[in-house]
Amino acid sequence: MTKRIRSKIARGSADLAILSLLEEQPLYGFEIARQISERTGGALKFTLASLYPLLYEMEKRGWVQARWQANAAGRDRRYYRLTATGRRQLAPLRQEWRSFFQALDDLSGVSHA
Amino acid sequence: MPDWKKLVQRRMTAPKLGDGLKEEVTAELAAHMEEIYEEARAKGLRPKAAMRVALQEVESWSDLSRDIGITRSTEDAMTHRTKTLWLPLIAILFVIGLALVLLDRAPALQQLIWTACMALLFCAAASEANNLNERTKRLWLPGFASMTAAGLFFLAASIVSDPSRFTSEIGLRPQSLRVESGPGRTFYISWVAAHILFGAVGAYMSRRAGGTRTARILAGMFPALAMFFICGIVIPISAFAGHNLFVERHPTTLLLGMMIWAGIPGIALLAGAAPFLNQTRPEHRAVVAG
Repeated sequence: MTKRIRSKIARGSADLAILSLLEEQPLYGFEIARQISERTGGALKFTLASLYPLLYEMEKRGWVQARWQANAAGRDRRYYRLTATGRRQLAPLRQEWRSFFQALDDLSGVSHA
Repeated sequence: MPDWKKLVQRRMTAPKLGDGLKEEVTAELAAHMEEIYEEARAKGLRPKAAMRVALQEVESWSDLSRDIGITRSTEDAMTHRTKTLWLPLIAILFVIGLALVLLDRAPALQQLIWTACMALLFCAAASEANNLNERTKRLWLPGFASMTAAGLFFLAASIVSDPSRFTSEIGLRPQSLRVESGPGRTFYISWVAAHILFGAVGAYMSRRAGGTRTARILAGMFPALAMFFICGIVIPISAFAGHNLFVERHPTTLLLGMMIWAGIPGIALLAGAAPFLNQTRPEHRAVVAG
C-alpha cells in the first residue's frame, strides 16, 4: 500500500470519527480526542498535533463551526459544532466506509462488525 | 503549574497567521495541553512527568506550525460570498454615494446609500466571522450590528414619517427634524424606544462571542457613541470653524442636540443592554450540558 493511500484512509477515518462525534453534541478539542480514544478502546487516538490541523481544515471547509464558550468547569474552550454542510458530508462518508469494509470482508473475510 | 500559553507561544512559528488568529490558536492549544497535564496529574504523575506527557503530544512544533499556518491562514480565507457579492456591492454603492456627495445632490438618496453600505459591510463582516480576531468579534461586530440596526430603523422611520420629504430630496439630516412638532415627536419617541432593542442586540452578540462587561456596554451603546462623536465633536468643530452665526449665538443648541441625538438614545441603549451584562452565560451552559 502506498503512503498516499494510507494517508487517505487515515484522513477519511479521522474525518468520520470527528464528524460522527460532533453530530451528537458540540465538543472542544481535548474532549474530542478523549472521547474518540475512550469510545474506540484506544484503537483510535488523536494527539494535539494530529487533531487541530484537521479541525481547522474542517472549519475552513465549513463542515464545523467553532465558538468560545465556557465548559462545565467555567473555563473558556473553543467548541466545535457540526454545520449543515458537515452533516451533509457525513452520510456519504459513512456509506464510503461501509462499502470499504464490505469490500474487505468480501475479499478476505475480515468483517468490520 | 506551567504557563502553557507562553510555552505554546514560544514554540509556534506560523508566519501566515495574523496576530488575532495566532492569539486564538495559542489559547486553544495551550488549553488542550493544560488539560492533558491536569489529567496526568490526576492519575498521580509528578509535575515533571505530567509535563512530559503533555509535551509528547507534539513531535515537531515546526510541522504543527506549518500545518496550522496552511489551514488557518487568512490568505485566501475570504469567503466566496464576500468576494463575489458583498464587496462588489459595497464598492458600487460607495462610488455612487461619493459621487452624490461631491456633486451635492440627492441627500435622501445619499442617506439610503450610506445605510445600505453600512448594512452590507455588516453582512460582509458577519460572513467573515471565522477570520476575525476576538476583539472584533466581541466588540466591533456587535457594535456594528447595533449601529446598522439603528441606521436601518432611522431610514425606515424617516421614509414612513414623511415620504414626500424623502422623495423630494430635501434630505433627512438629524438637525432638520423638528422634535417639538407632532409627527417629529412620534418619530423621535419610536426611534428612541427602538434603541432599547438595538442596545440588546449589541450586548447580546458581544456576550455570545465571550465579550467582557465593558465590551458588552460599548457594543450596546455603539450608535450613541457614534452620534456623540458627530454631535459632540464633528458638528461643533465644523460650526465654529465655519463661523456659523446661529451656533455662535446659541451654543446651548449644541448641548441640546447632543442630548437629543446621543444622550437619550444612549440611555435607551444601555437599558436594552442591561439584561446581558451579567457575567454568567446560561446559553453556553445549556449547550455544554446538552
